[in-house]
Amino acid sequence: MTDIATTLTSTPKRLAGRRAATFGLLAVLAGILLVPIGLNDEFVYHIFITICIFAALSTAWNIVGGYAGQLSLGHAVFYGIGGYAGVMLANLGISPWFGMFAGAGVAVIVAIIVSYPCFRLHGPFFALATIAFLEVFRVLALHFKEFTGGATGMMISLNIGWEWMVFRERLPALVIAFGMMLVCLAAAWVIRNRRLGFYLVATRERESAAKAAGVNTVKVRLMAVSVSAALSAMLGTFHAMYLTFIEPEAMFSLEFSIQIAMFALIGGIGTIWGPLLGAVLLVPITEFARGALGAEAIGLHGFVYGIVLMLVVLFMPNGIMGLLSRLRPAESARKETEAAPVAAEPRASGRTDAGEAVMRVEGLNKHFGGLHVTNDVGFTLREGEILGLIGPNGAGKTTLFNMLSGFLKPDEGSVSVRDAVGDWQHPASPGEFAALGVGRTFQIVQPFAAMTVEENIMVGAFHRHAQVGDAREAARETARRMGLGPYLDLEASSLTIGGLKRLEVARVMAMEPRILLLDEVMAGINQTDVRRAVDLMLSIRDTGVSIIAIEHVMQAVMSLSDRVIVLNSGQIIAEGEPRSVVSDPMVIEAYLGKEFANA
Amino acid sequence: MEIFLQILANGVMLGGLFAIVAIGLTLIFGIVKVINFAHGEFLMVGMYLTFLLTTGLDLHPYIAAAAVVPALFVLGALTQRFLIQPLLSARDEHVQIFATVGLSTALMNLALLIFGADIANTPVHGVRSQVQLGPVRVLEGQIWILVAAVALVIGLQFFMKRTTLGRAIRATAQNRAAAQLMGINDRLIYVLTFGIGAACVGLGSALIAPLYPASPTVGTYFVLIAFVVVVLGGLGSVAGAFFGAILIGIVDAMSGFYIGSDLREAVVFGIFLVILILKPSGLFSTRLNQSHVSP
Repeated sequence: MTDIATTLTSTPKRLAGRRAATFGLLAVLAGILLVPIGLNDEFVYHIFITICIFAALSTAWNIVGGYAGQLSLGHAVFYGIGGYAGVMLANLGISPWFGMFAGAGVAVIVAIIVSYPCFRLHGPFFALATIAFLEVFRVLALHFKEFTGGATGMMISLNIGWEWMVFRERLPALVIAFGMMLVCLAAAWVIRNRRLGFYLVATRERESAAKAAGVNTVKVRLMAVSVSAALSAMLGTFHAMYLTFIEPEAMFSLEFSIQIAMFALIGGIGTIWGPLLGAVLLVPITEFARGALGAEAIGLHGFVYGIVLMLVVLFMPNGIMGLLSRLRPAESARKETEAAPVAAEPRASGRTDAGEAVMRVEGLNKHFGGLHVTNDVGFTLREGEILGLIGPNGAGKTTLFNMLSGFLKPDEGSVSVRDAVGDWQHPASPGEFAALGVGRTFQIVQPFAAMTVEENIMVGAFHRHAQVGDAREAARETARRMGLGPYLDLEASSLTIGGLKRLEVARVMAMEPRILLLDEVMAGINQTDVRRAVDLMLSIRDTGVSIIAIEHVMQAVMSLSDRVIVLNSGQIIAEGEPRSVVSDPMVIEAYLGKEFANA
Repeated sequence: MEIFLQILANGVMLGGLFAIVAIGLTLIFGIVKVINFAHGEFLMVGMYLTFLLTTGLDLHPYIAAAAVVPALFVLGALTQRFLIQPLLSARDEHVQIFATVGLSTALMNLALLIFGADIANTPVHGVRSQVQLGPVRVLEGQIWILVAAVALVIGLQFFMKRTTLGRAIRATAQNRAAAQLMGINDRLIYVLTFGIGAACVGLGSALIAPLYPASPTVGTYFVLIAFVVVVLGGLGSVAGAFFGAILIGIVDAMSGFYIGSDLREAVVFGIFLVILILKPSGLFSTRLNQSHVSP
């Protein structure tokens, strides 16, 4: 096995692997369409139509549950809305081809109203909230008999023909189901390969880091939910016409919702083709158990589902797609010689020509309970300046950063940023700060663990480049500059701490910020890397970017900063040129205690 | 007035029933930090066990509890050891959710395979007889459920605060790493806690069985209400779950009478959603437990 794995690492073989995967996918799709046509059996047709519907629903679910990581167990709400909208309108004489869009519209509105307040709930609680919404819908559908027919359900009026989506033979239904499945797969594919998909995964992995990269995390998740709800509702309409009968217990069913999610999990949650594979493998089991074994084996397929679900989470949490990707060769570090990061020119001595002010901080106050963490802090940052921010642990440096980037609101005071045109703005949220060109790193690194190094940096690059190709180019360029070139294809989680710190800087650099807030990017990295980082920052500064750097590595602070601010217990106790600040008795006292100040 | 009091009494009794189901759920969540979506199926298993013991051996259901409680303890402990423990370090929460959802699906359908979809009536042994309490009438079995729920809350408080094992459990819940450093076997603590949580619902199932028929899906209804109760009472708070249960019981009974019995659930889940979204730390919590929401 190992020999095969090593031989496969060469590029042509990898391409061959990719080609094999594409071929396999096309074969699966062709099989879904051609097998039932070939066998021409009612029951086989039924199984394959059901496969298409579940694969499509599961793919739509995956946009929210997988990409965005919002685990909905109430997705039948949207399916049910589509079903009821389609049937009610069809019974009024409106074709389900229009009804499905009406249902999709209602589903999108419901999805936005329902999801918006729920997004702040994590994992299991989001799932619980979606279950609760599903129950409410089911109970309401049972209650409002005059519209829904209540518990007795509703039959569709049997008008046969394409315009009613109702047919005597099975082939047209298969064609429609297959087409809808293709639409869902295409939507999933497009989203995953566009900026939205990157933003969704970034938000799922690290919400705060995504915000810092300028992602409007609420908006992208609402977009994902809307697309997913609309697709689910359209499938609901078709499925209702196919079944010719609907009732609340079937349309708003928790079991049904769990099944949709389960196919995605088993196939590979968050992958494009996983839900399709999950449905292809599992739907036949259900339908055979139902059709062939009948009443004797009632519960058998559910039992098998439950067992499979437990085994999958225990032994292959990445699903079938995870297994398949293990067959493919591991992505190895690129054999590209590591270009040394661009070294800065030796510093021009006596640099005094600091430019105009770009950020003004005035009278910032912040309390955490009784603790006065930031006490009347004010300063001005100039264009092309490196401002060192130092102070002992607990001085309030990171809190100050959080206010300078919109993550915390000050109790009093203001932060104003000059925009590209030269007007002063008062941004309030991380998104607004990012839009004005303020980029930040986090003291505790926040990589998007499930993404590659390249994709991590692309999330930052999307801030300036909406197209994937441009963003990828910009990300590669930034990576090379940061000495991350050889690791582009590695998962971020496999980098060392030094690598992660550089990735943190690379991501924010890719945003091409005008003001850069660096929070201890040199802590815990070795001497050579510190030297490289200093050179890098100087080169960044020389492109006109203003930098505020929190740093404990004094060597770096001294050689980098044009100006240093010392913070202690939330107050600025000294400010000025590096040399004069470190000899200030107040500063020595803050760091080392009174005796040393007098020494 | 008399009707109002009667409905209030019904609500309190219903609340006792919700409480005895929810206590184990909140205990497991508070300590192991896992939402057990199979909790309702634990109840269902307990009810079928009670049914089998009472019909097969002609036992009183309350005596059957002596066997059902240990059986459920074992079921819970095994679940923790072989299903949850391997997933505790998982990066994504969804695997833990799906693990217990899978267990729930498997148990429910196993019951369907064995017992069929028909309901199974546990012999009542007199616990359905009515008792006059002042102006209201309640069932004898309901009183015993309420008494058992109160005893369980007090007993668990005592156990947690006064015994060495209880202290070890609380320590593990508050800081797993620090507890490990103090020589506590955190894995064993989790297994025992899950067992105790399941044993609580085991007790509940033996008491509930003579009043409600068992069916494969009986757990679904109760567990959804139990989720509501647990969030309402503050996650992980046993006493909070008890008061939350009584409140939901009263809301359920009142809305069933004054709004319409088919809309009871909509009212209960509506309240649940409002609490979850507006005050996710629960109604009674003084301590902030907001681990499940973003700031």
